[in-house]
Amino acid sequence: MNLSAKNNESCESCEFDESLKILREIPFFSRIPLETLKVLAYLCTRETFKQGDYLFNQNDDDGQAFYIISGNARLTHTNGGDEQEIRDYAEGTFLGGLTLMGNMVRLFSMKALSDVTCLILTRDKFSRVMNQYPDLMPKIIAALISAIRSWEERFLNASDESCAACKKRIGVSLA
Amino acid sequence: MEKAKVPIVKRPLFSWIFSDNAKLQILLLFIIVVTVFARVLPLEMQKRIVNEAIFLRKIDMLLLYCGIYLASVIIASVLKYLINLLQNFIGQQALAEMRKALYHHILTLPLSFFRKTQPGLVVSSLSNELAAPSDFVGMAVGVPIINVLTLLAFAGYLLWLNPLLAAVSLSIYPLVLFLVPVLQKRVNIINKRRVEAARDFSGRIGESITGIHEIQGNGAYHIENRKYDGLVDKLRKIRFTWEAYRAAIKVTNNLFVNLGPFLVFILGGYLAIKGRLELGALVAFLSAQEKLYDPWKELIGFYQLYQDGIVNYKKTMDYFDIEPEFALEPVDRKPYELDGSLDINDLSYETDTGIQLLEEITFSLKPGEHMALVGFSGSGKSTLALCVGQLYKYTGGSIRIGGKVISELTKRDMSQNMGFVSQTPFIFNGTIEENLLYSCAARIREDSADLDDTLPNLDDMISILQQTGIFADVLRFGLNTILTHDKHKDLTSTIVRVRQNFQRDFGEELSDYVEFFNEDKYLYHSSISDNLTFGTPNTVAFADVGLIKNEYFLNFLKESDLTRPLLSLGSELSKQTVDILGNLPPDKVFFEQSPIGPEELDEYKSLVQRLKKKKLHQLSAQDSGMLMEQALRFRPGKHKMVVLPQILERLILEGRALFKEKISKDDPDAISFYDMSSYIFSQTILNNIFFGKSTTALPQAQEKINQFIIQLLIEEDLLETIIEIGLQFQVGSKGDKLSGGQRQKLAIARAFIKTPKMLIMDESTSALDNKSQARIQNLLDTRWKGKSTLISVIHRLDTIKNYDKIAVMKAGKIGEMGTYDELIAKKGMLYELIGKK
Repeated sequence: MNLSAKNNESCESCEFDESLKILREIPFFSRIPLETLKVLAYLCTRETFKQGDYLFNQNDDDGQAFYIISGNARLTHTNGGDEQEIRDYAEGTFLGGLTLMGNMVRLFSMKALSDVTCLILTRDKFSRVMNQYPDLMPKIIAALISAIRSWEERFLNASDESCAACKKRIGVSLA
Repeated sequence: MEKAKVPIVKRPLFSWIFSDNAKLQILLLFIIVVTVFARVLPLEMQKRIVNEAIFLRKIDMLLLYCGIYLASVIIASVLKYLINLLQNFIGQQALAEMRKALYHHILTLPLSFFRKTQPGLVVSSLSNELAAPSDFVGMAVGVPIINVLTLLAFAGYLLWLNPLLAAVSLSIYPLVLFLVPVLQKRVNIINKRRVEAARDFSGRIGESITGIHEIQGNGAYHIENRKYDGLVDKLRKIRFTWEAYRAAIKVTNNLFVNLGPFLVFILGGYLAIKGRLELGALVAFLSAQEKLYDPWKELIGFYQLYQDGIVNYKKTMDYFDIEPEFALEPVDRKPYELDGSLDINDLSYETDTGIQLLEEITFSLKPGEHMALVGFSGSGKSTLALCVGQLYKYTGGSIRIGGKVISELTKRDMSQNMGFVSQTPFIFNGTIEENLLYSCAARIREDSADLDDTLPNLDDMISILQQTGIFADVLRFGLNTILTHDKHKDLTSTIVRVRQNFQRDFGEELSDYVEFFNEDKYLYHSSISDNLTFGTPNTVAFADVGLIKNEYFLNFLKESDLTRPLLSLGSELSKQTVDILGNLPPDKVFFEQSPIGPEELDEYKSLVQRLKKKKLHQLSAQDSGMLMEQALRFRPGKHKMVVLPQILERLILEGRALFKEKISKDDPDAISFYDMSSYIFSQTILNNIFFGKSTTALPQAQEKINQFIIQLLIEEDLLETIIEIGLQFQVGSKGDKLSGGQRQKLAIARAFIKTPKMLIMDESTSALDNKSQARIQNLLDTRWKGKSTLISVIHRLDTIKNYDKIAVMKAGKIGEMGTYDELIAKKGMLYELIGKK
């Protein structure tokens, strides 16, 4: 396997190349060798969600990871019938590394605030590829662990006194 | 039902000989007696020809005796053929009867039997092992009688000719009779081992086919190969020894039999020289003796067949000699119509190996009450459900449905009153409709026209499809059907009419999800060949497979300057695809977005190697053909590894116009061009309504499209028609063309449609998404509560609030039972269970 994707004339702006470029910049995939990343990039699909459509719904297990190529989306959580806004995401966001790893019923919903174009990879495809390269799994897990750790580290450093109550509940990285 | 009261597995092999074929066997006997006579006659003629005709020099006598000789030989042959025919007929009939009876018996065996039995073993028992026994049945009357009679006749004739010579030459046979059974004993021992090895062998094949996911997923080919190869070698060794002993029997037999002439020559020669024996008598004696061989060999062969047959038969029948746990059909009464009340009293269930899976279970449900069974895995929930469903036979206590004890109810009573949805429902190869009506069709018997068991009509089916939420799936199957010219004439013209309304009403709203057929626009979701022909081929030559070999079309590509750019595109596509997919196994999922199919990958791999060394114009005709094939398949909307160059897109659009002009002149009937006013027979119903193609696989978008389409179909009064077509969708072997959720929904619909008084659902919504699960739960609460008693084994606890009773199981016992609120208030096991999840 060579790096022909780079000097492929008819693919100067093709989706495959763009997808590959995107995956290479996502930390979750950062330790996967190019050869495998190409397969993943090829298996990704690009979809556009209309403004107001949901990318995923709370309580569903859609088994998809999203990368927002363009547009804005809002994360919400519904508790006893009333929908709370959590935060907004813009282009360049990758969500769903954990979803790819195993069954995961969504705790949140995500709604498109504008037309949102996403790169989507499904758990089924991802796990089929991983079955072909079983020695990559430790690398993925390592990337995942460091992501969880750095998330909590950021949380520790960022949270001030105003969230003293939250501090009682921290410790995801201890799980 | 079978007329025989004795179950097949208890029937001795001999019982087959006369049971169904008494008349045929008697006819056979009659033919045999005639045959024996026709066999002996030539010998006497032979003697008379030599002694009377030749000796007395009488031509008329010679002619007469020769004539009789000829006639009896011909008659003997014809009769022999007739005998064979009859034996074959009886044998095949016995085989068919054994296969049917054994299969019918096997289906009734307890589930526990199938847990430890490989399907392959059952297959080989039914297909291979019964062949020898049934051959034996075919020959059981004919062969021994004809051959013994022939032997006796010849022996008698020999004795009559010359008692001394006869006694000497016949003295060999008792010796053989002693030796052969000794050898056969060894053969039988080995044959028993062979049957067992053959069983392991087929069982292993069955196991690896069933577990192929695990094997391929783990790349465990070598492990499976080793296991399988070992069994093959074992079977080879056993078979070799077996055949060696069988051959030894034959050879021993031949050897001794061939000693016969030796004795006759020595003794007979001596007697003739001394003038104590006529020459004619010696000739007759010699040929009569020779004629002993064939019947004798046949007898020995028959003996071997008998021994093999009885071994195979016994081994096979013994293996399946298990009683069904329940009677199948009620005797002298109609199946009960039970009221759905359930009383369980001190129930226990113990496995064969003495493990107590259920104990001290006591509760009752009034008709129409709903109960949820929850608890940790291994707590016995499913076992309890299976016991209530009469699939397991409980070992202590009692279960009563409608006041009747389950263990005394027949299978027929149960299926009349109960619907069971298992954890992993099985979907049969066939249409959706056949699967949906499976439970209803099973209730209908030829002999029970009085039971008012008509199959549900289309309205009933649609209502159940809607309730269980599989309606949209069936609709989609219907919409994705490609109609044929001859069958659906009326429908196609309606769809063309609907198409115009669709474009007017919904065209704009769906334009994001549909690529409409437009003569002036490139179709990114269609292949290049479709883009060029822009129509439906009416001959094979212009269909996708034919196009690549179609001289007319290839010439057209050349004339319109498309050949080289297409070859170059094909080359890029092949290189890219091989680069990405080159090392992957032929999994369908990997190749869905690829123009190269999994089975073609290897060819293209080597083509790409050649492309590295050669320029496009240096390629062989075959290689260029392969590249052209890739290019013509290319769909930019799906195959994302290469982009369609702008200039090529423009060339193709020009080519489309050119092609239409050219073919309209040269061969106007070859292609029906896409046209708003005519149906496109190469496209699905949906694409015909769209007059275009859907561009997205996103569920959210699909749902939107569905809503519009359903609205349209209702307005146009087409919904039922499309559903009817969708119901004919072939689900594939084990339902492999359905998703896990669709299979489960279909299984639920299959149980619901027979509106049973008692419903048992064993984690039957586990593969459904939350919405579908909630829909089913809602359905149970509103439609079935009060009408059908329900026992539902539940793993996910968010749906149990509305059940009348909840039983929490732990280690085979019911730990606590009550309504949701009661149990939560009690803060007992359920409270703990929910907390943990």
